[in-house]
Amino acid sequence: MEIYLPIAEMSVHWLVVLGMGGAIGFLSGMFGVGGGFLLTPLLIFYGVPSAIAVATTSSHITASSISGAIAQWRKRALDLKMGGVMSAGGLAGTVFGVWLFTYMRRLGQMDLLVSTSYVLLLGIVGTLMLNESISALRAAQGGTATPRRMQHTWLHRLPLKVRFRESRLYISVIPPVVIGFFVGILSAIMGVGGGFVIVPAMIYLLRMPTNVVMGTSLFQIIIVTAATTMLQATTNFSVDMVLALLLIIGGVVGAQFGVRVGARLRGEQLRLLLALLVLAVCIRLFLGLILPPDDPFSVSVMQ
Amino acid sequence: MKRRVVAAILCSLLATPALAVEDLVSGLSQDTVEISSNYTGTDITVFGAIEHLEDTGANDIVVVVRGPGTDMTVRKKDRVAGIWINRDQAKLFDMPSYYYLASTRPIDRLAAGDTLQRYGIGLAHITPGRVASHHDPEPFRLALVRHLQQQGLYGEAAGGVEFLSPTLFRAHVPVPASVPRGQYNAEVYLLRDGTVISAQSTPLFIDQTGLERRLYNFAHNSPLSYGLSTVLMAILLGWISSLIFRNND
Repeated sequence: MEIYLPIAEMSVHWLVVLGMGGAIGFLSGMFGVGGGFLLTPLLIFYGVPSAIAVATTSSHITASSISGAIAQWRKRALDLKMGGVMSAGGLAGTVFGVWLFTYMRRLGQMDLLVSTSYVLLLGIVGTLMLNESISALRAAQGGTATPRRMQHTWLHRLPLKVRFRESRLYISVIPPVVIGFFVGILSAIMGVGGGFVIVPAMIYLLRMPTNVVMGTSLFQIIIVTAATTMLQATTNFSVDMVLALLLIIGGVVGAQFGVRVGARLRGEQLRLLLALLVLAVCIRLFLGLILPPDDPFSVSVMQ
Repeated sequence: MKRRVVAAILCSLLATPALAVEDLVSGLSQDTVEISSNYTGTDITVFGAIEHLEDTGANDIVVVVRGPGTDMTVRKKDRVAGIWINRDQAKLFDMPSYYYLASTRPIDRLAAGDTLQRYGIGLAHITPGRVASHHDPEPFRLALVRHLQQQGLYGEAAGGVEFLSPTLFRAHVPVPASVPRGQYNAEVYLLRDGTVISAQSTPLFIDQTGLERRLYNFAHNSPLSYGLSTVLMAILLGWISSLIFRNND
């Protein structure tokens, strides 16, 4: 049955949208990422206007992250303090990101900015994760587990040190705030939660223990995507509640199954799978940049 | 664009010689289209009759339905350092957001190009009210027409007007689900030997109804509460689902 979306002003098949939400929700629960980097391109490909795809994806990520975060919270795999500090940076980043979004759209280079930053970001993050998870898997097979060394880098010489009990860290608040800010920008301009940046940043930069990474990143994603939804609804009127409802119902159910599958896989295997997924999306977007387009012309309605 | 068309219609009516007694009456199967949740597009019928028909030549009927004017930007990608990026652009102001034409014969056989241009008859003769571009705007205009045609918002059907009797005619006009809301105009032209001898215009309103309309108004009139409701809905649904699935743990 077709259903009409009041803000996107188009008809969609409800089962297709429900299925999209479910598939992305499953991945989100499994990896502890929002899944926006898959859902936004998927919606645009389906014909949803990109502004509405970006904004509405945010609310889908909020919902699927909630059920994931509660599941992690029950396992006490969540550092609330770290999540709060990162969210503070994230909120500032969201405000800046929405401003940047409007500015770049006026220049007509929004698509280029989004595609190139997706390619760069996903390429770097994907390659790093692939490398790390392959060597971790090799080490596990060889029987020698790589010891987690507490390396002291310049990050540990920054001021404003705070103790994060659940993460067993005593570090400055500056790196988490900066990471949060950066992810807030991504949330606003790409319609992503930013899990594919936060998770590796927590593991490799902050050196948080892997078991609290999932829950904490989900917590930060909830705060930032809720803020993005609010900002997009009030500045661009681009949040479609009917589309959001369908995506969310599919998403929350999918996320529950994702969390179960994720719990059965080892951390290294999870990261290997996520790395492959990230690289696949990266390559797809890269091809979009270098291959001659079917039609060099594009049309957009002036607001 | 709209103003020019209206002026052209007025001119044609004033220019109609008093001797030519043929006149048009026309109407629509519905004068409003209401978009509700199960709206997947519809067909409206434009029908009419030629009054006082004297069989002195080939009569042709052209039906044109135009949507409200919008301003659009058309951008063209070029290869720069191996990457395809938007380079040239043209802003086309006051283009119809919807355009559908049905005629008795292919339009290039109905009248000379300048006549068609004056009335905006045919996809080749839809022109923007104003253009802002550093380049020849024609390729950009063509690209826009092509894009809207692919979306089903622009269309042309030669032979789309059928005569039920020597004087009675009708045409089906598709209204796809993606049409913008607003006031549309259904124009009917009677042509003979390459000149427009009569024209008629009937307004058509396309609007959302029911829950869709209320949601749309809610989003635009109180965006803060709308955003908040969406976020709360997301949180609630996420929470409910984890309650439901808790027992399975």
